[in-house]
Order: sequence, then C-alpha cells, then structure tokens
Amino acid sequence: MRCHIVPPHMLERIARDAGDPALRARARRSLVLSSAQRTERRLFPASPTSPTEDFVPNRTINDAEHGESLPGKTVRKEGDAATGDKVVNQAYDWLGVTFDFYEAAYRRNSIDGAGLKMVSTVHYGEEYDNAFWNGEQMVYGDGDGRLFTDFTGPLDVTGHELTHGVTQYTANLEYYGQSGALNESVSDVFGSLIKQWHLKQTADAADWLIGQGLLAKGVHGVALRSMKEPGTAYDDPQLGKDPQPAHMDHYVKTHSDNGGVHINSGIPNHAFYLAAKAIGGNAWEKAGRVWYETLTKGDLESDADFAGFAAATVAAAKRLYGEGSETTAVQEAWTGVGVSQ
Amino acid sequence: MKVKVIRSGGFAGLEKHAESDSARDPMLARLVDRVDLGSVPPPGRIPDQFLYEIDIDGDRTTVGEAQLNGPLRELVHHVLGRAR
Repeated sequence: MRCHIVPPHMLERIARDAGDPALRARARRSLVLSSAQRTERRLFPASPTSPTEDFVPNRTINDAEHGESLPGKTVRKEGDAATGDKVVNQAYDWLGVTFDFYEAAYRRNSIDGAGLKMVSTVHYGEEYDNAFWNGEQMVYGDGDGRLFTDFTGPLDVTGHELTHGVTQYTANLEYYGQSGALNESVSDVFGSLIKQWHLKQTADAADWLIGQGLLAKGVHGVALRSMKEPGTAYDDPQLGKDPQPAHMDHYVKTHSDNGGVHINSGIPNHAFYLAAKAIGGNAWEKAGRVWYETLTKGDLESDADFAGFAAATVAAAKRLYGEGSETTAVQEAWTGVGVSQ
Repeated sequence: MKVKVIRSGGFAGLEKHAESDSARDPMLARLVDRVDLGSVPPPGRIPDQFLYEIDIDGDRTTVGEAQLNGPLRELVHHVLGRAR
C-alpha cells in the first residue's frame, strides 16, 4: 500500500502547475489513486473488526520548538510517561479523549476508521494564533497571550482538528463555499460533542461553545463560536464582533476565507443544535449518530451544499429512526435555519 | 505605491486588515521589488490554515500560509506588523 507522503493539496498543485508534463501526469495519477483508496477505505474497512474489539490509539506528539517545519522533534509517543511540558501532555491527553469518543460513540477506530496513527505538533511558530489539520496531522500554536491562549488548551479544538481528518477520509467535503462551511460545521459539531461526552453533559446542560477558554484575559467574549446563538461569542474592540449567521437570511457572500467557511458554518451549526435540543438527552447518541451516518455512509457528494446535506441528514434519520420524533426534529432544525421550507 | 494585506481563515476565522503606503513607509518599495505575484502558487485547501490576500497597487493574489515564503513572506509580515 502506498503512503501519502505528499499531501493532496501539494499533489493538486503539481498536477496543475508543474513545468514537466511527466511530473504533472504522475501527480494526477497519485491523486486519483489516493481518492480511490479513500473510497475503498470507507466502503470496506481495512480489517473487519469484531463488535467487541478494543481499539487502541497510536499517538505521537512532536515539538516544533517555535519553528515552522513539520513534523518537528518527537517528544512523546504512545505509552510514554508524561513529559515536563504541560502543552505536550495536554495534546496527548486530548487526542486520547477524542479517540475514545469516536470508539465509544460510533465504533470508529481512529481518524480513518482503520487505526491511523495520530500525529500532533505543538509549539508551532512564534506567538502563532492558530491550529490546523494539514491533511496528515494536527498543528497547534501557543497563541500570542494577548488575544489567544495556547490552542492545545480546549478539548473541542483538538476534536475539531481531528474531525477534519475524519471528514477527509469519509465525505471529503470540499473546503470552499457551502461544502467548505459544512466541513467546518462538522468539525465544530463533533468538537462540541467530544467535549459534551467527556463532561457527561446532556444537550440542555452543554454550553455549545467552540473554543471556550481560548480567548486571553481581558478579551470581550466567551469563545470563538456559539452553536446555540451564532453571532454572540465575542464582541471586542480588537477582534471585532462574531460574524456568524444563524439563518440563511443572513448568509454571507464573500471570497475571503475560502468563501466564508468559518462564517457560514454558523447556519449548519445552529441546525445541529436545534435538532439535538429537540431530541434531548445526550446529543452524541441520536443527533450525533445522524450526522455521523451522513458524513460516513459514502453517498454524500463532496461538493454538497446546505440543502443537499440537510436532505442527507433527514434520509439518515429515517434509516435510523423511521418516521419518529427524531426525524421530525432533524427536518424542523433545517427549516428553523431557513435551509429547507 | 500601496500594499494591502487581508489575513483570513484560521481556526478562529478572524480577518486582519493592514495597509501600507510607500509615501510613509520607506522600506515598502524595496520589499515589493523582490516580489513576483505571478509566480505565487494557488492556495491549497488546508482546513483552518491562514489565507493571505495581497494587493499591490491593484495587482492581487491569494496565498495560503504553507506557500508564504521568501520575499513575499517578508512583505506580508512587514505590512501586517505595521497594523499593530
């Protein structure tokens, strides 16, 4: 089996722009191959697992030592004792919780469903206010300390980034426009569910915030996004105001941020919240199951728009719960945010 | 000569705007001279990476943080740094 040493975005670039036609052709072949492998993986898991098999994580934490080369120096591997660096240990622990969540809630074995090694790099860059998934691993900055604290702090940030990996291996939602906003939203949904599962909170008790604890002291805000009330997470002289809409009437058309993927994700985020709230109980059990099925079933188009995703969640709810109250809750959630009539 | 930079994207999805004018920024022209916007690769679709939109007197391009290197990186950080 081939390993994806070259990330897909780089292959895309080579396939399009390389001067050498042979190189372009080779990159195109690799791209087709890796997308075929992804499809294969999601339809036929690499090794059939028994319903009781205990999945075990395989974590590696690297330290970029404030540089920007990846993956950096390995500082803790699976089973190693805690180091003296609390950022390293936090990243390790939150990867473990995220892995356990996917196993316990959906019987998923890691990011790809087949035990993929989980790799994180911490202390990336200088005063770096971000965390991202680069197609192969998670990367975390320490924050600048004035606006943002360390990005390994909140559990939902790790859940969000790792879920970008799950999406890549399943529905592979294109990171642009509405499919990109759905990609973002799916990461927020499962990021929040991981936190709720960890804290044993029902839909009623949860805060439905993304990045709570990430804003530095003195910043006017509670988090970066609110799934319960999109647009209300912060309002600060330096950061501006949370721009997220909660309804299609306020959908933001922009070319920045890949077509506003971090802005318009507020709409599907709120739809999930409405569905989970209406169903009640632990949100990861039913609403989360519907979203997980939608993402991983294999019939969602990678360029799905909000309406297409909504229809897929309703179809998934019907498969799981028939015409029961759960399905009604999902239908009404999408009506509530103006995606469907 | 005017250079505008908008940083968008990132986990937080916050936009940061900055602008510099060579009339008040003696270093700007020298930094711009070394930059060739035509040779910038298109941004990869990397979840939560920063995107930089760069406008040099109306010539525009968008670059992802993974491709922001060399003279263009110097220019972008110079302009964003002046916004603080």
